[in-house]
Amino acid sequence: MSSIERSERRTAFAFVAPALLWTLAFFLVPFGAMVLLSLAHLEGREIVQAYDLGNYIKIFTDPSLLKGIFVSLEITMTVTVISVLLAWPLAWIIATQVPARYQRLAIMLAVLPFWTSYVVRSYAWALVLGQNGVLMQWLIGIGLLDAPIQIMATRAATIIGFVHFFVMLLTLTIYANLIQLSPNYARAAADLGASGWQTLRLVILPLTLPGIMTGAFLTFVLCIGDYITPQILGGNNELSMPQLIMLQLGRRGDFPMASALSVVLMALVTLAYAATARWLKMDRV
Amino acid sequence: MRALGYIYLVAIFAFIFLPVIVLVLFSFQAGRLPVPPFDGPSLKWYAEVLNDRGLMEALRNSLFVALVSSSIALMLGFLAAQGLARVRLPGSVVMRGLLIAPMTVSYLIIALGLLSLFNGLGFRPSLWATGIGHVVINLPLCFAILFAAMGDHQKNAERAARDLGASELQVVALVTAPMLKPALLAAFFLSITFSWDEFIIAFLLTRFDVTLPVEIWSMLRSGLSPATNAIGSLVFLVSIVILIILELTVFRKSKS
Amino acid sequence: MTADVALQSISQSFGTFRALDNIDLSFGAGEFVVLLGPSGCGKSTLLFILGGFLSPSRGTVKIGGRDMDGVAPRNRPTTTMFQDYALFPHMTLRDNVGFGLRMKGMGRAARNAKADDMLDLVGLCDKAGRKPHELSGGQRQRVALARALAVDPDVLLLDEPLGALDLKLRRQMQDELKTIQRKVGTTFVHVTHDQEEAMAIADRIVVMNHGKVEDFGVPEDIYLRPKTLFTANFMGDINRIPAELVSAQARVVHGVRPENVGLKGDIALGPARLESAAFFGTYHRCHFRSADDRSTPYVAHLALGDLPAVDAIVPLFASHVVALRETA
Repeated sequence: MSSIERSERRTAFAFVAPALLWTLAFFLVPFGAMVLLSLAHLEGREIVQAYDLGNYIKIFTDPSLLKGIFVSLEITMTVTVISVLLAWPLAWIIATQVPARYQRLAIMLAVLPFWTSYVVRSYAWALVLGQNGVLMQWLIGIGLLDAPIQIMATRAATIIGFVHFFVMLLTLTIYANLIQLSPNYARAAADLGASGWQTLRLVILPLTLPGIMTGAFLTFVLCIGDYITPQILGGNNELSMPQLIMLQLGRRGDFPMASALSVVLMALVTLAYAATARWLKMDRV
Repeated sequence: MRALGYIYLVAIFAFIFLPVIVLVLFSFQAGRLPVPPFDGPSLKWYAEVLNDRGLMEALRNSLFVALVSSSIALMLGFLAAQGLARVRLPGSVVMRGLLIAPMTVSYLIIALGLLSLFNGLGFRPSLWATGIGHVVINLPLCFAILFAAMGDHQKNAERAARDLGASELQVVALVTAPMLKPALLAAFFLSITFSWDEFIIAFLLTRFDVTLPVEIWSMLRSGLSPATNAIGSLVFLVSIVILIILELTVFRKSKS
Repeated sequence: MTADVALQSISQSFGTFRALDNIDLSFGAGEFVVLLGPSGCGKSTLLFILGGFLSPSRGTVKIGGRDMDGVAPRNRPTTTMFQDYALFPHMTLRDNVGFGLRMKGMGRAARNAKADDMLDLVGLCDKAGRKPHELSGGQRQRVALARALAVDPDVLLLDEPLGALDLKLRRQMQDELKTIQRKVGTTFVHVTHDQEEAMAIADRIVVMNHGKVEDFGVPEDIYLRPKTLFTANFMGDINRIPAELVSAQARVVHGVRPENVGLKGDIALGPARLESAAFFGTYHRCHFRSADDRSTPYVAHLALGDLPAVDAIVPLFASHVVALRETA
């Protein structure tokens, strides 16, 4: 290696070092500390390091904890599927049916509620879905309902709140994918005799798979780790994993158990990544 | 087909806007509950939140944390991107992976990790602790945006500047930063947004001085109130104004 | 299969911009026609009108005598080969080439057999199971050709198909395109801005500029006997001869190609000073300026051995002078 190259590398490394050190000190080391803590136990009010898997065994044997994993997975999967199904047509309509000069406006409008505060967004849905809320009053007003039905503090409310957010996110990723496709794909398919539906199903849909999968993975990560939405909208009738973690931290002060639950949560995200990575790598020309 | 498309568009836009409309509408409610029937308009809840010292304090804290943490994240991210884009370092793939990794981890886990560490070190929860957490979540974002924006023509322009006698500092100040201005601004404002809006890290890592989302959260625990609508609407309004200013200045220019 | 093509007073406007202005053209069945012109001249617009992706503001398209008004691309006897090839990245080459047959409802076995035949035609039968990203640019171009030809179109429309290839590959693919066209007999309409490419492959060339047809004819005529000043300039260098030296009419200029300027010839251009010269292998490219008070510049390609000394004044002559209209 020449001395010029060596000094260039030294400079480059000096540039990268601060960010690396920060990530090491405040991300990797804390994560390690958390994993260590998950191997400890709460005895009385003292945390005692035991280096055993007691907390993990408890998570998978205690029905109230195990249920949290399933609640979280069910909610996350439902949200992801519904959001993709709602967002794809929206992104497609904006990308292909809306005149080009209004597209930017349409997309900005479609994600406008992003700019409300995240806590406030869930609160706003609580206003809409409550017993005396706008939705019930309206449904009773037009004669569809005689009396309000319970949506707040159910899983349905959590799912609605989540879907609202993730439809916006997925619309963005799928739209970004759609507009970078050459219009010639659709032209070529039509030219070779494909109907509009065939073009959509055989050509456009497969080509947006990377956008869908990227969005679905993001949805999974953000949804399964979110505490606010299930807490405000879903209430305490069934607890998702983040709610369980916060419960351990708050009322019980069981830090080791909260850490173990977090490690399990992390493992679920890693599994989701492994499942979608194959698609995220989808070849493009 | 087209008509069906527009019907779908209207229906889904209604769904997307419904909570925002309800939020803003009932911020003008005169009564004590933000539910129908609407009995406003009244500005009394705006007056109340603007005179609420706790809220205004939280707003200042949020701004402080957002500005400081975004500046640090931007600086670290810029330097790292500059270093990794310039030469092929041994292990550069690993370094890139490590820098991006926090992006795929739930904020709750990052918060809990920092809490474990700080507890172990006896470091008390504070705005500074929150700021550290916010740098952790925004650093990958800044790095990714800036790394993607640094292309070959960037590298060549820097080489040309060095060749013409510019020092390392002059290269960064006179060539790199101006060329990357749109990406730098995008990364900075995205970071501000994320930090400004972040709840769980701030919730777990602050105690007495709290940020705005945490303060709003504690307002919620005392039940529904048009005051929450008012502060929510104010935050929304400010975000939209900033967004429009950005759209009209920075991003319009960078497009042409 | 093959068919003739007739374009009758086609006009196309985009807002106030007139992309095509009253185009009348007809191509014979089995002909290889090249639409040639600078970017923005309307050649791609005309191709898209032929393919049915645009309907003209005015005028009629007839293919095989049939009026194409209101006929969708999928129902036209044309297929288009796109500039970016638009190969479906998630399908194998075989599935790409068989796509049109699948849309026609052909069974899997039959369409795979046909697809393999087509891949064989373009020399890629050993790669039928690969995906487009595994191929080089030239190979992708061939797959696109096979896919377009697999449905037996009467007319194949090619939108700058060689534009993405480097020069050497480009010249090689020109010859292949021509050979394949001769083999299948389909009418080819090919768009390009490269005049060498046009001369190498076309039976007839349509030269276009500003939405109008400047010239239409066999390559020899287009090069040697261009009708307009634009065509003459676009196809190569042209020297303008001062009006006094030839019997000039209004709105007509006379021009001569550099290879037809020399030390002998039909028309005397008068004495000229050699200002500079460069060696081009088979000729010297010389810049002269006439020694009279007009100081008209001339470019001449002089045979090896004819080169005068720089600054020498020699009498220049021109032959094969052509009269060129100033506008189409």
